[in-house]
Amino acid sequence: MPPKPEPPPESAVTRRSFLKGASLTVAAVGVAGPGASVARGARLEEDGVPILGPGPTAMKLEVNGVERSISAPPSTTLADALRDEIGLTGTKRVCDRGSCGACTVMIDGRTVDSCSMLAIDAVGRKIQTVEGCGTPEKPSALQEAFVECDALQCGFCTPGMVVSCTALLEQNPHPTREQIAAGISGNICRCGTYQNIFEAVELAAKKGGGRGR
Amino acid sequence: MVDEIKIQVGFEGHYEELTVTLPEGDIPPYQPADKLTVVGKSHPRLDALAKATGTARYAYDQRPKGLLYGAILRCPHANANVTTLDTSTAEQMPGVKAVLKATELFESNSCRFAGAEVAAVCATSEQIAEEALRAIFVDYEVLPFAVTLEDSMASGAPQVGRRDQENVERTTPRLGRDRDGSINEEREKAAQDGMAEREKKVDAILKDAPVVISRTFRTQVQTHCPLEPHGLVCEWKDGKLIAHASTQATFGVQGELGRRTGTTPQVICDHVGGGFGSKFSAGREGVIGAMLAKEAGAPVRVMLTRRAEQTAVGNRPDSKQKLTMGLDREGKILAYRIRSWGTPGAGTGGAGAHNDALYKLGEIDKVEYGVRTNTGGARAHRAPGWPQGVFALESMLDEAAKAIDMDPLELRRRNDSHKVRKAEYEIAAKRTKWQDKRGKGVASGSVRRGIGMASSLWFSAGGGGASALVRILKNGTVEVRNGAQDIGTGTRTIMGQVTAEELGLGLADVTVFIGNTDDPRGPASGGSTTIGSLTPAVRLAAHDAKRKLLDAVADRKSWDAAGLDLKHGSVVDGSGNALISFRAACALLDEDAIEVLRDRPTLGRRRPNYAGFEDTNAGVQVAEVAVDLETGEVRVEKVTAVADAGKLINPKLAESQVRGGVIQGVSYALFERRTMDRQEGRMVNADMESYKILGAADCPEIDVVMLDVFNGKSNTGVMGLGEPPIVATAAAVANAVADAIGVRITELPITPRKVLEALGKVPRTRAASEKKGTSL
Repeated sequence: MPPKPEPPPESAVTRRSFLKGASLTVAAVGVAGPGASVARGARLEEDGVPILGPGPTAMKLEVNGVERSISAPPSTTLADALRDEIGLTGTKRVCDRGSCGACTVMIDGRTVDSCSMLAIDAVGRKIQTVEGCGTPEKPSALQEAFVECDALQCGFCTPGMVVSCTALLEQNPHPTREQIAAGISGNICRCGTYQNIFEAVELAAKKGGGRGR
Repeated sequence: MVDEIKIQVGFEGHYEELTVTLPEGDIPPYQPADKLTVVGKSHPRLDALAKATGTARYAYDQRPKGLLYGAILRCPHANANVTTLDTSTAEQMPGVKAVLKATELFESNSCRFAGAEVAAVCATSEQIAEEALRAIFVDYEVLPFAVTLEDSMASGAPQVGRRDQENVERTTPRLGRDRDGSINEEREKAAQDGMAEREKKVDAILKDAPVVISRTFRTQVQTHCPLEPHGLVCEWKDGKLIAHASTQATFGVQGELGRRTGTTPQVICDHVGGGFGSKFSAGREGVIGAMLAKEAGAPVRVMLTRRAEQTAVGNRPDSKQKLTMGLDREGKILAYRIRSWGTPGAGTGGAGAHNDALYKLGEIDKVEYGVRTNTGGARAHRAPGWPQGVFALESMLDEAAKAIDMDPLELRRRNDSHKVRKAEYEIAAKRTKWQDKRGKGVASGSVRRGIGMASSLWFSAGGGGASALVRILKNGTVEVRNGAQDIGTGTRTIMGQVTAEELGLGLADVTVFIGNTDDPRGPASGGSTTIGSLTPAVRLAAHDAKRKLLDAVADRKSWDAAGLDLKHGSVVDGSGNALISFRAACALLDEDAIEVLRDRPTLGRRRPNYAGFEDTNAGVQVAEVAVDLETGEVRVEKVTAVADAGKLINPKLAESQVRGGVIQGVSYALFERRTMDRQEGRMVNADMESYKILGAADCPEIDVVMLDVFNGKSNTGVMGLGEPPIVATAAAVANAVADAIGVRITELPITPRKVLEALGKVPRTRAASEKKGTSL
């Protein structure tokens, strides 16, 4: 079980940094350190603020413990970078504006809607996707519980649900049903698997010693 | 040769013997006394692990080398004709690989809702594709429009359709038409005479009926909103189109794209991110994808945006239902009058409400109208026409029960003859302590609790058109193949279980291939008939493959083949003694594999099922709600769902279907509603934050009771269960709310505002449209 990561500064993955736009965000990242790898190919304005894009920019993302180098426009969302650039298609793009949770990933241990965050904002952070929660060969206790409790139907919300529930169990190893409902309240399931998901989280909590791993 | 056989039909405690005709080449149905080891067991679904680990690949996830990104330009006006369409700038943009004009592709310049397809592009990135759309120049002749039922029916309303299409058209009884669509005066007169006669009859009964009640009900437009949008990834290889489609009809999409391209495409669909009735057609986006890929000479992905998904690819139509019911004081329904309207978009078909079903309703006088509006077209939506019709009908039954001071459950019993549902009433009543709770309106603080019930009906024994291939390989592996799709209901797993059972193997010993039109033909996932149609073919193919294997084994070992069977992974003799293992038996084969393709056995063309027990699925649901009289908020605390679907192959998956139907039904009852901007003619909430779908915190506890019914309808007796569980839910919730607050809410969704209005706590709002004179 990996140690619980330190929570990142509040401002790091908020809507605000997203809304501030790519160039300013890049500047902030640049100051923080990993910008060196980000800023390759960037032009420097007179006041020293690096300007990226609109063309492809090289960036390195740490996804599920593996460093991935991609080249994509700085406007690329994290969801699109994961899916189209890296090929981790478990993360789903559904509403594309942060209201359904199908694209949920963890950034430094906290859940984020990856459709509403720029990939470049995730540079230097630990990104965990559903593929990092467990594999078909070595599923997590939570994923096994999803299978056993039939906590999925069409399966399109499932990766987001698995990530949200994994994060929930990390923070609260033995959640009540109300706490589980609150934990996945950002995730919409259209097939109606909520009750099965409650049961799966409870089973995983019991089997996995309170953690989903 | 046609055989007469005796079988047991019915369900626990209610079995009867029946003589049925076995179609030629078929095998007898599963029987209550059969000791089944795989069928009837709750195996986890075969694709669960792939889905839970994010490794299941959907159409949206396909990434062939050199993939281009498609995007569709949509009309911003509710009613318009395209007069100029200039794509020349877009075509010149770097990265743009193909541009198509929808006006040419679909031979129409008419856009009758905001969201209609105008043009499409594909490019090396999504961003470039979107930029190219902005570079397309379009001139529209903008026409007046009507986007609500009232606006379209108002006197002087703008014409929604074209040519001589009227805004309101009778759909029940159908207009008397000729083959070319023009009105045949003679046929139309016969229809009108019939209507007049029924009206007179019902008038006469209502005049003398001891109790007559009249109510008008409204329901909203609901969108399907599957999480994976409509769309596909198309690629042409050596003149053959390969389409990875998000569809609930692989063969339907193959046919459509085939007709369009003059080829025989291969359609592949390993997993579908939801369909709910909206994904039968390749759709315009499908044609666009195929043609863009052809034009560009590279693979193209066209997946709809959420806005397009919410506006352009289907919905459950709204309804206005004016109902009048006459009954006697013993609860016998004598006559029933229905006048209903619904808007399926710019067309008129598909807006019917099934408000005349379920019960013995006496003399019926029903006239129904489709109302054209400049909105996205309706499509089949999980039990099309039923949740809205049953909401109105079941509300009427509760109002009738109140009028004669009878227990609503008793009123239903008195007007119902379904053998299964009669038993389900008793189970539901006992399980929910109905008698203790109904009409008690238990209060705690500002919260009042209520309980309500409703019934359902469905027809999912399936039909023909399905075949299955079973292969037993010399190395002992077993394959079962069908080209239809698993839309998340569990068809893949059910096929595997039926095959494994027949071959005496475990589910893990069978590999299931599904979702590929290169495999044998299978049904569309519609009408909940997929597994009802498919499993008899699967079982028969497995059975015949088994006999071939046993014949070969008997031949090699000089045993009597007739006494042999496959059980528990072995060849067994007549006494059940294991002779050799399944694997060893396969090794005795001369050929590499036994391969058997079987169609579903049918008995005559029109009735592919045996004349068995009840033809239909029943179902009873009881909802328990808590209503806050101060805020008007309704919480559905519990839904008890008693359901049946013929022989249960996998009880766990069946339960999941019921839970899902109930959840979607509660969501429909309380939250979902398409909102149209009457000034601009656009959908206001074409997204997932203002179009409200029930979330985990609003999820009721769902108690599912499944009956295992041996209906004798086929060799498996299986019925599907996608649609039945959503039929009754909204009605049960509405009846529970009325029980809690003592006032009936006649309009869905039941929002806090409507509750407060019904209680007289806030003034009634009326939509601006309703202030205009309408003909309603």
